[in-house]
Amino acid sequence: MTRILYIEDDHDIGSWTVTDLQKRGYQVTWLKTGEEADTHAGDADLVILDIMLPGLDGFTIGQRLKKQWPDLPILMLSARTAVDDKLLGLQFADDYLTKPFHPDELAARIQVLLRRGTPAETRQLALEHLSIKLPGCQIIDTRTNEEVLLTGKQFHIFMYLLKHPGQVLTKEQIYESVWGEPYLDGDKTLNVHIRYLREKIEADPSQPTIIQTVRGIGFRVRLS
Amino acid sequence: MKWLRPLRLKHSLSSQYLLLIIAAVLFLPIALPVVSVLLFNIGNAGQAAPNPYQSGAALESMWHKEARGLAGAGAVDIDAKLRELKGAYPEADMFWVDDLGQTMLALPEQPELPDRWTPSYTVSFMKQHYNADPFTIVAFLGEHDGAGFMVMQVPREHMEPPYQRLWIHETTFIFVTMFIILVLFLLLSWLFFYRIRTRLLGLQRAMAIDDERTTPEPVTVLNLDEIGRLESSFNTMVEQLRQSRQREEEEEQLRRQLIANLSHDLRTPLTAIRGHIYSLREEVSSPEGQSSLELVDSKIGYLSELIDNLLSYSLLYAGKYPRHPERTDIVRLVRAQAAHWYPAFEEASFVIELDLPESGMYWELDPRWLERVLDNLFQNVLRHARSGRYIEIRVELPDQATDTREGGGAILIRDRGPGMQGDSPDKGTGLGLSIVSLMLQEMQLRWQIDSTEDGTTIRIQPD
Repeated sequence: MTRILYIEDDHDIGSWTVTDLQKRGYQVTWLKTGEEADTHAGDADLVILDIMLPGLDGFTIGQRLKKQWPDLPILMLSARTAVDDKLLGLQFADDYLTKPFHPDELAARIQVLLRRGTPAETRQLALEHLSIKLPGCQIIDTRTNEEVLLTGKQFHIFMYLLKHPGQVLTKEQIYESVWGEPYLDGDKTLNVHIRYLREKIEADPSQPTIIQTVRGIGFRVRLS
Repeated sequence: MKWLRPLRLKHSLSSQYLLLIIAAVLFLPIALPVVSVLLFNIGNAGQAAPNPYQSGAALESMWHKEARGLAGAGAVDIDAKLRELKGAYPEADMFWVDDLGQTMLALPEQPELPDRWTPSYTVSFMKQHYNADPFTIVAFLGEHDGAGFMVMQVPREHMEPPYQRLWIHETTFIFVTMFIILVLFLLLSWLFFYRIRTRLLGLQRAMAIDDERTTPEPVTVLNLDEIGRLESSFNTMVEQLRQSRQREEEEEQLRRQLIANLSHDLRTPLTAIRGHIYSLREEVSSPEGQSSLELVDSKIGYLSELIDNLLSYSLLYAGKYPRHPERTDIVRLVRAQAAHWYPAFEEASFVIELDLPESGMYWELDPRWLERVLDNLFQNVLRHARSGRYIEIRVELPDQATDTREGGGAILIRDRGPGMQGDSPDKGTGLGLSIVSLMLQEMQLRWQIDSTEDGTTIRIQPD
């Protein structure tokens, strides 16, 4: 069972969030101050942290925890919305959600963080006729039961799109993440790679359905 | 009465200045006589002994007296006397002629004198030397004719008074002295002005405020004159300024803290409300109940956004919203922002039309500010122009022919909603647009809204 350490001083929000998270199948330890965060963080898979706390504030606690357990995902959950606060929080935290949050959104973000944090977890993704095994991104064409082999760049592009399902990614974002260097205006390299990638994974490369082109912006993979 | 206070030279620039002016006015009338007197004294001092040749009459009476004393004296006595006189008057030439007209002793030897004096030579000698140079005195020995005579000749240059002899040197000297005094005066007044100037410049430097300091530095007061008093007033002012800055900062800090806390305190109950609405959804089964819960939930979202806007607006208005301008690729930023909003528009079944150029377009601004502006505008379209189901996002490059400099071009957002005058179910205070307006103004961008009932076009371009 996934254990979540939740630090929140507000009783109403805290008790309700704990109930909600427990309903979703998480084991939650709820602390009202950050004083004992260190003793519980070792057992946790994820920390949800408020900023305005009595005693030590969330920034300090988060930085401490991150120093001790660099791999422990931290989600800041705060009513502070100033840009500075977000930037400060994201210097060490893995995500930042502002109150009033939507429970579904919180759950979704927790899932994303846990997925990122536990690479050992294997998942099976079904995408049209493809079956994708994560995290290795082994792609099986279910029609023939053959593995689809991608080149290094194609693999990285596809992985990057899969990591951000549903999001429209600009070509600058994709290029800079995969190639690790600044995108230059008018560079067609990405388009060429996407074309080859589509030839390998799409049923009909001229009518792509897996990697969608969002005209004028970039590309997207939508999970059904 | 202040001006009656005794002027202390050290503490008053005006008295120093007055002194300089007085010196300037009195320079000629005083300096000239002073220099002359000085010169005269120096001239006399240079030759302390009176000039024995100065008076012709004195020389003449002396010479005649000596000649008288030699009445009936032998040649040897006369020679001795002449040598003695030559000792007393070394500059004078002397000789004597005996009763036979024979040139006897000449001191020094004078070869042009004849051995024997004829009457005609004697006459011409007398004529030649009368009132001429050298000054010549002839005296008969024993003061009677036929006993021979003695002659003394003094070059006239020795007979002038000493300062007159220095006349040519003296004019040069006066000019040089006057020149030196003039230069000294100029130097003094320049020094006077230079010192004032240095101190004024120092004050100016102290007043200048650069990026690192918000208040000027106090200066060191060395002198209690007018500038010194100015400096100490300046220091007092700096101190007051510093205190008020500090107060202002503290107040600003307090204000920011207050707003942040207020925002936090408002959000905390909202979070709880939202959570409980979420729980209620599972309890309420009627469709009416579900739809009112949904409405409450959406209003909570709106309220939270309003709080956020209020916070931003108050920070913006106070000029405390953090801003870090940099050279930003607008095409890239608009594309990323459009990508971010794409799913939301898609979900509301919008037709999304994008027209973004392939090449970049650069403006100097804080990218996060422009993101915030675009967020607000897209949010507005989504909220108020939902009925049009259309959004066009376009970046226009600057016209290469007419506008080659960086910073041209425009961002265009067009919808087909009912227009800003039209009715929108979520019409608010317009705080979102006020923020957009303030932010654009701060970023030196101009915006133009063209709103009809068929839609709204917003065009953003540099000033």
